[in-house]
Amino acid sequence: MQLRDFFTLDAINLDLESETKDEALKELVGLLGLDEKSRGILFKMLKRRENLGSTGIGRRIAIPHCRSLVVNRLRVAFGRKLSGIDFDAIDKKPVQHVFLIVAPPLEVSNQYLPVLGRIAQFGKEPDVPERLAELQRPEEFIALLEEKGV
Amino acid sequence: MHPQLELLLELQDLQTQRRALEDDPLRDMEEAVFELRPAEALDLLQVKIAEVIDRLEPGIRRRYMDLAGNLDRAVAPVLNGICYGCFVATPTAWASEAGRNDHIGVCDYCGRFLYYVD
Repeated sequence: MQLRDFFTLDAINLDLESETKDEALKELVGLLGLDEKSRGILFKMLKRRENLGSTGIGRRIAIPHCRSLVVNRLRVAFGRKLSGIDFDAIDKKPVQHVFLIVAPPLEVSNQYLPVLGRIAQFGKEPDVPERLAELQRPEEFIALLEEKGV
Repeated sequence: MHPQLELLLELQDLQTQRRALEDDPLRDMEEAVFELRPAEALDLLQVKIAEVIDRLEPGIRRRYMDLAGNLDRAVAPVLNGICYGCFVATPTAWASEAGRNDHIGVCDYCGRFLYYVD
C-alpha cells in the first residue's frame, strides 16, 4: 500500500482560502465531491473529533480524521495554507498542512488505520514540513509521497 | 434527507467513533500521535450520543434502542442495492428511487435503518 494511490490531484489544494479551522475542514471536505448533506454530516463528525482533542500533531501539520456512513470508500485530501491556521495543535503553533482522512465504518480491506499511521509517519520526517511548504503544483505533492516511500 | 435519518447517521457515526476508541490499535494511535485521552473522550462521546438519542422521535428512538441492544449497528449503509448490515439485497424498485434517503427505510431482512450511499 502506498499513500500516493489514495490521493487524486483534484483532492489537493495548495492554496486554501480558509482562515479558521472550521473553514479549513469545510474546504477540505469540499474536495471530496460529496453532496451538500453528506458534506454537512462529515463536517459535523470531524468537528466532534476535534472537540475530543485537536488533530494538530505539531510541526505545522494536522490530520483530521473520522469514519462516517456518508462515504463508501476511504477518501483523503490535502490542503495547505502557508500563512497558517489556528488548529489548537499540540505545539500551539499554527497549522499549514492539513491531511484529511475519512473512511466508511466497514471497509473490506481495512485501510483506515494504516493510512492514518503512514500519514503520521510522513509528517514526522524532519524535512517534510519544509518540503510541503515549497510545493508549487499538486503533482509535486504526489512526487514527494513517492520519494519518501510512504 | 429525512431529518431523523440525518440524526440516525450522526448517531451511528458517533457509535463508530466510540467503538474505534475502544479498539486497541486506533486507541493507541490516538494516544501516541494525537495525545488524546481516551477515557475522557469516551465520556464526552457518551454524552453526545445520549443527546442525539433524545432528539429522535419516540417511535424511531424505540426502534433504534431495540436494534442497538441486539445488533452491532442499528443503521446500515446500502451499496449497490445490498444492505451492509446483513448483506441481503434490498427491494430493487425502492433502492432506485430518487430521494430514497428522504424517508426512513428499514431492511426487510434484518430490520436495520437504511442509508443509501451514492
